Amino acid sequence: MIETINLYFEHVLEYLPRMLESLGETGIMLFFAILAAILLGIPVGTLLFLTSSGNPMEHHLLNRLVNTLVNIIRSFPFLLLVVAMQPFIRQIYGRATGDPIAASFPMIVIAIALYARFVEQSLNDIPKAIIETAQSMGATTWQLVWKFLYVEARSSLVIGFTTAVISFVSYSTIMGVVGGGGIGDFAIRYGYQRYETDIMYTAIVLIILLVGLFQWLGLKVAKILDKR
Amino acid sequence: MIEFDSVTKIFQEKDRVFTALSDISLSISKGEAFGIAGKSGAGKSTLLRMINALEEPTSGTVTIEDTTLNNVNKIHLRSLKKRTGMVFQQFNLLYNKTVAENVHLPLELHNHPTHLTVEEALHFVGLKDKKDQYPSQLSGGQKQRVGIARALITRPDILLCDEPTSALDQNTTEEIVQVLKKAHKAFDMTIVVVTHDLLVIKALCQRAAVLENGELETIIDVSQSNKQTADRPYYERAIEVLGSD
Repeated sequence: MIETINLYFEHVLEYLPRMLESLGETGIMLFFAILAAILLGIPVGTLLFLTSSGNPMEHHLLNRLVNTLVNIIRSFPFLLLVVAMQPFIRQIYGRATGDPIAASFPMIVIAIALYARFVEQSLNDIPKAIIETAQSMGATTWQLVWKFLYVEARSSLVIGFTTAVISFVSYSTIMGVVGGGGIGDFAIRYGYQRYETDIMYTAIVLIILLVGLFQWLGLKVAKILDKR
Repeated sequence: MIEFDSVTKIFQEKDRVFTALSDISLSISKGEAFGIAGKSGAGKSTLLRMINALEEPTSGTVTIEDTTLNNVNKIHLRSLKKRTGMVFQQFNLLYNKTVAENVHLPLELHNHPTHLTVEEALHFVGLKDKKDQYPSQLSGGQKQRVGIARALITRPDILLCDEPTSALDQNTTEEIVQVLKKAHKAFDMTIVVVTHDLLVIKALCQRAAVLENGELETIIDVSQSNKQTADRPYYERAIEVLGSD
C-alpha cells in the first residue's frame, strides 16, 4: 500500500513542472476572460437591461441587436466558436494556435456574452421601485446605474460572476485543440492519450479544487456584501 | 403653486384602454398641506406622480411655480425634481446602504446649496442612534422615518407622500403623521399626501381632493382635529374603538 502511494507521488513529482506550467496557462486564459467579463460583460449586460422595454433607456432596435448577438455567441458550441474564430485571431494577433494568449480570444468572447446575461438577470431582480426612486430624485442614468442598481445588485452580481468564472474554467479545458494548453489539455494529453491514468485524475482533482475554491470565495464575498 | 389644468391620463396596454384621470383641474397653494383621497385605483397616485414628472398627462397641463412640465427639457426637469422630495408606501430604501448612506443619497445626485446634514435630518426624525444600521434591522415605522429624512435632507420646496402610512399599523401611522406635521411646520414647504386613510388627511392637511374612478369629486376644507392620539398606547385605543358603537 505504502509502496503504491510512494510510487504515485514519485510519478506526480515527475510530471509536476509540466502540470504547474499548465496551471499557469489556465491562469492566463482565465485572466483575460475575467478581465473581459468585468470590463465589457458588465457594460453590455447593463445596456441590455437599460434598453429593454419599460426601462430608462428603452430602445427596441438596440436591445434586439445586442440580445441577438449575445444569443448567437452563447448558442455556439464552444469548440466550433474556437475554430470559427481562427482566421479572425490570426488577423489581429498574428497567430491563432500554440499559445494561451491566442487561445484567450474565444474565451474573451464567450466571457462577455455569458456574464452580460448574468448581469442583465441580476439587474432584472432589483425591485422596479428602486428605479422609480432614482427617477423621482432626478438621477441621471449614470447615477441610477452606479448609485442605485449596482449597489442593490452587488451580491447577486458576485454570485453570477462566480458561476461565470467556473464556466470559464470548463471552457478553458477545450483550448488544447488549438494548442492553448491549460490544465484540461494536460489531463487529456498525459492522462487520456498516454494512459497515465493517475496523472489524469490528479489533474481532474486539481480542477475540482480550483472550482471549489472559486465557489467558496464567491459565496463568501457575496455574503459579506449582502445587507438586505 | 402647483396647478393642474384639465389633466387627463389614459393608459394603453395592448388592447386595453384605461382612463386613470379625466379632466382634473385643481391648484395647491405654496406652503399648503394638501390631501388627495380616494379608494385604490381612483387615480390619486397617478396625479401625485405627475407633480414630479414620473407620469406625463395625456392631455392638459401641470404647472409648478411658473414652469409647465409638458414642455421642459431634461436638464430643467432634473432641477425641478431636485426641489421635490418624495416619500413612498414601501419606503424604497437601498437595503445595501446604511441609514446614514440612504439619507445622504440625494446630496450625491445634485448640488443642494441649503441642505441639512445627515445628522440633522436623522435627528429630526428621531433616528440619530440608528445611523450605522442597515434598513433590514429597522421596523417599518423606522424605515419610513429614514425615507422621510432622505426626502427632507435637501430642504425641498415640495414634499410628495405616496401612501406614506399604508404599510404601517395604526400607532406607527400616527407617529409618521406627527413627523410629517412637524416637518411641514419646520421647513415651510408644500406637502401633498396621497392616501386612502382619511384620518391621515384629517390630521395633516388643510384641504383635500376626493377622487373617484379618475374623476375629481370635490375639494373640501379639512376641519382640523386637535385630538392627539399618538402617545396613547395601542390597547387604550383598541378599547375605545372596539368598545364604542
